Amino acid sequence: MLTRRILLKLTGAATVMAALGPMLATPARADSAQQAAAFVKSTGDALVAVVNGPGSPADKRRQLQQVIDANVDVDEIARFCLGRFWRQATPEQQKQYMSLFHDVLLNNITAKLGDYKGVRFEMGRAQEREDTDVVSTTVERPNNPPTQVDWIVSGASGHPKIIDVVAEGTSLRLTQRSDYASYLSRNGNKVEALIEAMRHQVAQNG
Amino acid sequence: MRAVTFSKLLLSACLIASTVAACATRPPASDPAAVAEYEETNDPLEPTNRVFYVINNGIDTVLLRPAAQAYRFVFPQPVRNGVHNLLSNLSTPVLLGNDILSAKPRRAGDTTMRFLINSTVGVVGVFDVAKDWGYPAHDASFGTTLALWGLPEGPFLFLPVLGPSNPRDAVGFGVDTAMDPFTWVGQGAAVTALNWSRYAVSAVDQRERVLDAVDQIKKTALDPYATFRSLYRQHRASEIEEARNDTRSTVPVWFPQPTPAPKR
Repeated sequence: MLTRRILLKLTGAATVMAALGPMLATPARADSAQQAAAFVKSTGDALVAVVNGPGSPADKRRQLQQVIDANVDVDEIARFCLGRFWRQATPEQQKQYMSLFHDVLLNNITAKLGDYKGVRFEMGRAQEREDTDVVSTTVERPNNPPTQVDWIVSGASGHPKIIDVVAEGTSLRLTQRSDYASYLSRNGNKVEALIEAMRHQVAQNG
Repeated sequence: MRAVTFSKLLLSACLIASTVAACATRPPASDPAAVAEYEETNDPLEPTNRVFYVINNGIDTVLLRPAAQAYRFVFPQPVRNGVHNLLSNLSTPVLLGNDILSAKPRRAGDTTMRFLINSTVGVVGVFDVAKDWGYPAHDASFGTTLALWGLPEGPFLFLPVLGPSNPRDAVGFGVDTAMDPFTWVGQGAAVTALNWSRYAVSAVDQRERVLDAVDQIKKTALDPYATFRSLYRQHRASEIEEARNDTRSTVPVWFPQPTPAPKR
């Protein structure tokens, strides 16, 4: 009796699993969403602490940079945002673009610091989606309606890292990529033009 | 009346559109990556759309944005929340109609309960009590209903006054307007004035809610038009998916409950 044998095997396996305790019974992937949630919570707490904490804008900028470098895979996001033009760029252009992207991202976040004073967030559910974990939060800040923000966490690099932020269904990196793609298509698809524009942006804000 | 005014508006928009109509050039088939990008952007009318983006942006800069700023300056957050809740409550008929048309019984139930609770306990809708009582707000429009019926979105459009859209959402907007009893109820100068004030307050309310976000985009985007286009399309897609995935069953609480569908 095939089915009976399988059933016996299964119950046997289940007993072993139960005996060995939750450590083995839980597949490694199942609690990765929970780990991702804990990771987002600690990153979010760190960000909120910087935003609401004391210190000059320059201090805060430095603190933010630390939090971002440690918890966000900016290189991966930068490559994604350049899309098909990443491979067309020369190694020198790739290097310049990468460094500018870091600056632009930091500038954009620093520019929002004032708006986000008094920000707080609540954790929502965490779930796996393909090879990433999606952690939902609700971000509340003064003078603004609550926003649903999902954090996309990837463990591909060995450590959990944020690779995208989705606010009210809109992905930060997808939006950024379409901005760059459109700028490139209106400027002869030349990566140099984009780098020049980004340099201009950094010079203006820096 | 209002419906007539809007159809006139749309008609004149179409006329202007046809006179300045121009199409984005499709990249040659020899460049598959560029073709894929063109398809993904879904904006064959881009040159025309950009003209309207510039016009709308001008109107926004001199009219809507200052109005929203003044509104924020004069009224504190609790008052603005109350106004927003009141406006949401007034849109109940359109919401409910779309909940039913898109075959979402639990959403229709939420909308009904929200109306009953907020209109009474919530003082004609100023306070969103229902949210705390387990009836959260949701969005519904005929554009979303059409999407759930399987109609494709069509090419991206940037419409005069209305802003980012597509044929499906533009038709949806027209149907929502027609579905709204306030479009048809009563007549005379007072009713017309009330209706128009509602649209004006509604526009200012909507604009005020995105003041910071829009300012930030205009400041940081290299191509704000492309950024707004992307944001609009992503936001609509996620709204539609949220409605599609709302498959809560309608089994009464005292009846044996079916096992819930696995969450995505």
